[in-house]
Amino acid sequence: MSEQLQSLFVLGSTHHEAPLELRERFALNATEVKNLQSQLHKLPGIEECLVINTCNRLEVYGLAKSPDIEDTVRNLLCSRNGIDRKVFDSHSFWRTNLDVLQHALEVSAGLDSQMVGETEILRQMKQAYESARREQCTGTILNRLFEKSFQAAKSARTQTGITRGQVSIGNVAVDLASRIFGKIASSRVLLIGSGEVAEKTAQALKSRGVADITVTSRTFEKAHRIAHELQGAAIEFSDFRAQLHRYDIIISSTSAPNFILEKEAITAACRARPRQPYFLIDLALPRDIDPAVDELDSVYLYNLDDLSKIANENLELRRAEIERARSILKGHAWNLWLQLHRRTLKPN
Amino acid sequence: MLTEIAITDRFTITLAAVVYLIAFLYGLTSIGLKKPYSRSLVFALIVVGFILQTIGLNQRGAEIKACPLGNLFEIGQFMAWSLVVLYFIVGPIFQLRTIGIFAAGLAALLSGGTLLVPSWDTPYPPGIFGGNHWIELHAALAIFSYGVFAIVALVSAMYLIQQYGLKKKQFKGIYQYLPSVQQLDTIAYRLLLTGTIVLSASLAFGSFFWIENLNSVPLVKLSMTCLVWAGYLSVVALRTQRRFATKRQAIISILLFLLALASLGPVDAARATTSAQKPAATDQGDIAP
Repeated sequence: MSEQLQSLFVLGSTHHEAPLELRERFALNATEVKNLQSQLHKLPGIEECLVINTCNRLEVYGLAKSPDIEDTVRNLLCSRNGIDRKVFDSHSFWRTNLDVLQHALEVSAGLDSQMVGETEILRQMKQAYESARREQCTGTILNRLFEKSFQAAKSARTQTGITRGQVSIGNVAVDLASRIFGKIASSRVLLIGSGEVAEKTAQALKSRGVADITVTSRTFEKAHRIAHELQGAAIEFSDFRAQLHRYDIIISSTSAPNFILEKEAITAACRARPRQPYFLIDLALPRDIDPAVDELDSVYLYNLDDLSKIANENLELRRAEIERARSILKGHAWNLWLQLHRRTLKPN
Repeated sequence: MLTEIAITDRFTITLAAVVYLIAFLYGLTSIGLKKPYSRSLVFALIVVGFILQTIGLNQRGAEIKACPLGNLFEIGQFMAWSLVVLYFIVGPIFQLRTIGIFAAGLAALLSGGTLLVPSWDTPYPPGIFGGNHWIELHAALAIFSYGVFAIVALVSAMYLIQQYGLKKKQFKGIYQYLPSVQQLDTIAYRLLLTGTIVLSASLAFGSFFWIENLNSVPLVKLSMTCLVWAGYLSVVALRTQRRFATKRQAIISILLFLLALASLGPVDAARATTSAQKPAATDQGDIAP
């Protein structure tokens, strides 16, 4: 039975390996994640599997019957997304056994996140785990691994200061808005889509005095709900393009597969409000705003990678705490490895 | 007597330039070391520098019995002085962060730069304006407008730095201390408008004298001054018609100021040549720019 653990694996592509332009090509929507997971589980060599898909990572965890499964999994992933295998290979990683445990624990503790120490990843992992378990794609090993990783993440957070002094994307956005507009209280904000980070960013702007917030979403009810929470207004998704010139700050976070704001639309809006700068925040993956708009003089476009990089600028101050958390997780990973060995060796 | 006073006023002005330089270096070093700097200290140092410079210019003015604008040294000093006066007005009104550091730097450069070239401080006989107060006002206004354009160039440079930081996604360092791009743009335009109005007024006063004495103003001076004036007037016109991108306006404002500075040399040389050809008593209007 202990042979099983010899083929515990994780195949992934994260912000460490792939830039935003590639990650948006690898990204899957909820249905695609479910289908991929189900297809993987049906593979003859796979016993358990789980797919995690966030803005910063696409990871496939699995337990295979033999250690030679790597090619099969890579091929399946690439064929589903129409990704060139060579491109994917050069922007992805493959880990096995104890390394998988250490990696999963570090991911859940936020150590592997783009914004080190963030807690959003834990919620996303829990969601992915719940979904895989419901679909009966996970079994004894992955269940144990994920449940233990959630506990270890909590312990690493409470025993170290990895989240202390962390700067949120919302705070970075507020500081950037101040560098563009000065006093931001009179700035008008348009929130496109209903992403959680986007909502938090709008909330951060509101807490700094921004009063005029408008929300638009493909589902008007959703836009209305968020607008109500932000004490703003909601507009129809079909109307927002015609009103772009009314806003100073645009935060976009939709799940649209293509750009929803092209250079032409922003150029036209700039013409309607000459000499007034635009602050565009693209929090979507795939991206919502054509990166070519950054060529316009008075347009300042920031995407997830840009904001995370800025938020991590004080990372050096937390370096010691991060190393401490990593060492705590190493202990947890080793204990888990022994537990899994003992469990698989026990007679049923 | 003149030599003794010249040494005294140059000494006071040298002290002023050193104080401006200290203010600039203190601010710049603090930013470079990513340490918060005391705006009050920068302001206090600039005040001390300004008082010293005012004393120096006053001594020089008392000696020549007119506004000290007779040679390149005095023009440079008066321009630096005007720049600091404008900083005292613009800084508190618009609450522009770090403008004190930039103003101190430019004042040190203008004041110190002219001190470093002794040949620019050529002696000239008293009564350079021939007792004509309109000509004196014309000269003072022209140099004051150059002081305004110096501040415009500073604000434009600050705009370009902030814009570069935002475009290149730079967060720390000097960028976080600079005012917002929108603030800088608004202030640059208002100052540009002010400077152009002051320069236009100066030229209007000067033209009354020029019409009556067509040969008294050297052609070089006339053409260079008109070129600078036309340049600023075009920028204001294009900006008012919203036909000018903010970044382009900032670059052109800096270039025009450099042109204005560069024009001072030929203008002063032309003035000196004209003065040498005429008796001092009739040397009215030979002022720069």
